[in-house]
Amino acid sequence: MTMLMRAPTTDTETRYPYLVSSVPAARAVNAVKLYGNAETSVRALDGVNVDFAPGCFTAIMGPSGSGKSTLLHCLAGLDTLTSGSVAIGETILGTLRERQLTRLRRDRVGFIFQAFNLLPTLTAAENITLPLALAGRKPDPDWYDTVVDVVGLRDRLGHRPAELSGGQQQRVAAARALVSRPEIIFADEPTGNLDSRAGGELLAFMRRAVDAFGQTIVMVTHDPVAAAHADRIVFLADGQVVDEMFDPTAERAIDHMKQLGG
Amino acid sequence: MRRLLRGALAQGARLFGTALAVALAVTLVSGTFILTDTVNAAFHQASADNGGTADVVVRSTSLFATQANSLPEREPVPESLLSRVTSIAGVKAAWTAVQGYAELVDKQGKPIDAKGLPTVGSAVTPDVALAAGRAPTGPGEVAIDAETARKNGLQLGDRIKVLFSGSTQEFTIGGFLQAAGDVVASTKAIFDQVTAQRVLGVEGKVDAIPVQAEPGVSAETLRARINAVLPDQYEAVTTAQVARESAESWTKAVAFLPTALLIFAAVALLVGAFIICNTFSILVAQRARELALLRSLGASPGQLTASVLCEAVAVGLVGSLVGVAAGFGAARGLLALFGRMGFQLPSATAVFLPRTAVIGVAAGVVVTVLAALAPARRATQVSPVGAMSGADGARTHGAGGRLVVGAGAGIAGLATLLTGVLGGGARPTIAVGIGAVGMLVGIALLAPLVAGRAARIVGAPLVRLFGEPAFLGRENAMRSPRRTASTAAALMIGIGLVGVVAILAASVKASASRTVDDSLRADFVLTPTGLGGAVSGVPPAVVDRLRATPAVATVSEIRGGQWGLDGRTQTLLAVDPTTVTAMHEVDAASGAAVRRLDDAGVLVRDTVAERYGWRVGDKVPMTFARTGTRNMVLQGTFSTNAVRTDFVITLGAYKANYAQIFALSVDVALAPGVTPAAGRAEIERALADYPVVKVMDHAQVIAAQGDQVDRLLVPVTALLALSVVIALLGIANTLALSIHERTRELGLLRAIGMARRQLRSMVRSEAAIIACLGASLGIVVAVFFGWALVASMRALGVTELVFPIAQLAGLAGLATVAGMLAGVLPARKAAGLAVLDAISSDR
Ligand SMILES: Nc1ncnc2c1ncn2[C@@H]1O[C@H](COP(=O)(O)OP(=O)(O)OP(=O)(O)O)[C@@H](O)[C@H]1O
Ligand SMILES: [Mg+2]
Repeated sequence: MTMLMRAPTTDTETRYPYLVSSVPAARAVNAVKLYGNAETSVRALDGVNVDFAPGCFTAIMGPSGSGKSTLLHCLAGLDTLTSGSVAIGETILGTLRERQLTRLRRDRVGFIFQAFNLLPTLTAAENITLPLALAGRKPDPDWYDTVVDVVGLRDRLGHRPAELSGGQQQRVAAARALVSRPEIIFADEPTGNLDSRAGGELLAFMRRAVDAFGQTIVMVTHDPVAAAHADRIVFLADGQVVDEMFDPTAERAIDHMKQLGG
Repeated sequence: MRRLLRGALAQGARLFGTALAVALAVTLVSGTFILTDTVNAAFHQASADNGGTADVVVRSTSLFATQANSLPEREPVPESLLSRVTSIAGVKAAWTAVQGYAELVDKQGKPIDAKGLPTVGSAVTPDVALAAGRAPTGPGEVAIDAETARKNGLQLGDRIKVLFSGSTQEFTIGGFLQAAGDVVASTKAIFDQVTAQRVLGVEGKVDAIPVQAEPGVSAETLRARINAVLPDQYEAVTTAQVARESAESWTKAVAFLPTALLIFAAVALLVGAFIICNTFSILVAQRARELALLRSLGASPGQLTASVLCEAVAVGLVGSLVGVAAGFGAARGLLALFGRMGFQLPSATAVFLPRTAVIGVAAGVVVTVLAALAPARRATQVSPVGAMSGADGARTHGAGGRLVVGAGAGIAGLATLLTGVLGGGARPTIAVGIGAVGMLVGIALLAPLVAGRAARIVGAPLVRLFGEPAFLGRENAMRSPRRTASTAAALMIGIGLVGVVAILAASVKASASRTVDDSLRADFVLTPTGLGGAVSGVPPAVVDRLRATPAVATVSEIRGGQWGLDGRTQTLLAVDPTTVTAMHEVDAASGAAVRRLDDAGVLVRDTVAERYGWRVGDKVPMTFARTGTRNMVLQGTFSTNAVRTDFVITLGAYKANYAQIFALSVDVALAPGVTPAAGRAEIERALADYPVVKVMDHAQVIAAQGDQVDRLLVPVTALLALSVVIALLGIANTLALSIHERTRELGLLRAIGMARRQLRSMVRSEAAIIACLGASLGIVVAVFFGWALVASMRALGVTELVFPIAQLAGLAGLATVAGMLAGVLPARKAAGLAVLDAISSDR
């Protein structure tokens, strides 16, 4: 496992690896998303400008209805913007066609939903390797072992989702997102359905993925304790980025949310 | 209750496939009735029309009603009887009627093919209706039917050749006959009376004397009066009675048709029942939560069952009504097709009796409700808490009962089938049929036990070929074995039956060809062209000409006829005992029996003699239409299948009891040293005037028999194919419902990078796996049932068992591909789902 760790070269890079890179892992520029028709239209995203640096664990917080899920969906290529643009690495999603978007989701992006992340017919192992199988690729055995061990699911690999607890299911989903080594993982309230212990395990796992493997993660959450695991919090309100915070703690996050009137 | 129903109506769209399955099956039911009613009505109509203007007909008595659509097998009436009839009080007019075989020959010298239908020559009668020209007079003139003239471009004044049983003669066309309301288009030639009697070989005699009553005298009164003065061997009957008899003989001739069609309809309904049951099972499972909510709100189990059953009634009703309407359309289409083929029915309108609608709708609704019964009961067994928590509570319920019933039906079916195979019981073939139905039901009920494993095996090549999407499709097929099994079982039934028919056909052909190879020693067999109607055949003159041909050493004639035994119609063959064994080599005992046969005797198939308890030397009371009951001596028995009937008499005995002069077939052996080619050339030259006779060597005999089998096989297969179509519909339906159920999964798959193409491939793989499962099961079933059926038909001459491997494999392949195609629409629907909507749907 140590082999796979990035060897830190400077002190700055050790502490804030994302500050070093010039190309963001994902970026939104003037992102606008309207729902509904002219009269009843909702501005879910109202000119969002945000960068997500590689190797950084970012949390997105904001009141309900502020556009967090919408932003994540648009960034992950699951939805399209009304205007503005989003990019994964140097790829601008608006220019991609359906087939290319699908390939992007499969090869370059990982996604963890709040619930129902797994196919009930497949075992945990099959679920983890599903994106690779769809790409017709074999998982790198070392990396696969590493991921499985980090998630702590080795003795559950042959089980089907119905035989796993909610927390285990979410960890399988996280392993699936990780195993294809995507450039970026999006997670929409991944701990929303978990109790604090299971949630804690999942967050620890994500943190580890970032620290040990340089994985980029963007996570939406309502929970300040969860957000405190991140390197940075982006605050959204009424479809706009209103603030951000580096190296957050739960207390500072709570305070900030209160200021936003959430 | 109304609220429950509204829930049901909401899924109307999802029940579309089910309604369509019901509709297809009911189409067959109602179409059968409409077709049968129409044909029967047409027969009655035509028979009534044929009576002309006569009220009563005088004819010879017949002791035995012939079965098929033959001209009545009666002695002629002496012409002298006419004057006696005319002198009876109340008779306004009486004339004579003469009828016989006369085939028209077209300008190219080929007989005008009436497609095996009667080619009738008769004497002119006072009530003949002419379309043009005049009634024929003198020895050189003929009037023919206007339709035949039109089709062959014949004009008044043209010369035309006519083939009679004894000769070919040329006439001038003097008139065209108006089309009468004939059931079937036949060619007609009318001559003046003396000419007709001469050419038809009945000089001084007539077939019947039609009589017209004076005004005020009823047909019935006149009939009684005439009968009072007639000698015993003649009778007077009203034309209404003649029409009835004629219509009945026609109706009887096609009586097998509705029965056969209704059997196919029953198969279609059975297949439909599987789909209905499956659909309702899925719907109930999908609505488990809703039903549980209703339960916890206080709905009683009875109410829930009722709500599902109401849904079934609604679907059954809609499907049946559509089916009845479609049946009307299908029947009209078929009638039009018949018309195109020459069977023009006089009344073109399809007959629609209220009974048709009632039976069609009842069948559709009853089957639908019965099929929905088990799922409806299951709906009530949903425990409120279990279903609310999302557990699939309805999964294992009733499995035990199902297995018991399945095993019971399977074992009982197998036992019945085996008794048939072992030849036990009076009708082994029917035992096999009933056993097969039991086994099919058993297999269908037990199939879920192995469906999962079977899907894994069947899907393996697909997974290797198409990778992950096929793998996921296979997992989907395996996740609910019951759903997969009952969808596949429907296809199994359809494919199984088509396969059995293919095996049977191949076996019958092989058996026939084996018989020809083993026993036919004649160099050529001569048969009439066309389908061989009752009045045509190989004319006696042909036999004479063959005998006069030097290249021919032996000529042996075989005739056929019907007779009555205790009121039941039987068939017999008449042979020349001295020559027939040289033409047909049979086992030694049968051969010896034939050689010993004389004109007072009859040979009986050993199994038949045993059934009646007859021994050699016993008297067999044979009732002939013309001559009454004769006690023929049972002179021997035979066992060979080369003889296609159970009774054989001599030609001498035949001539004494039948007026029929045509041969079914004539066997010819060439003189030593004559090559087949030379022999054929010489025979054909000798028979140049008889284009109605075809000369066949062994290969051609085998081919002709094969043709006959195919002619039966094609429509049967077409009708069974309807069941296959219904089963394929079931695959599409099941998949559509499953996709609805798995919307969220599909969204997830798309979100993590499954391409649309892959998603479609996944759904199609599932369809292909189900279809392949059904098709392979069907082929297995077909092989087993085919074996059983052929074994049970050994006594009927099906001695060879042939599995047309290429055909069966093709059938399975075709069904699998068709199944995959059935998955195309559901696949497209699945691929069309918007990713985010799918993920956030509550399914
Ligand atoms: N499919 C849709 N159609 C119409 N409006 C929508 C749709 N999806 C989201 N919205 C609206 O867009 C806005 C942003 O929604 P979004 O789901 O992004 O909020 P969110 O920040 O994720 O909220 P939550 O914290 O509750 O998940 C909301 O006002 C929502 O009502
Ligand atoms: Mg959200």
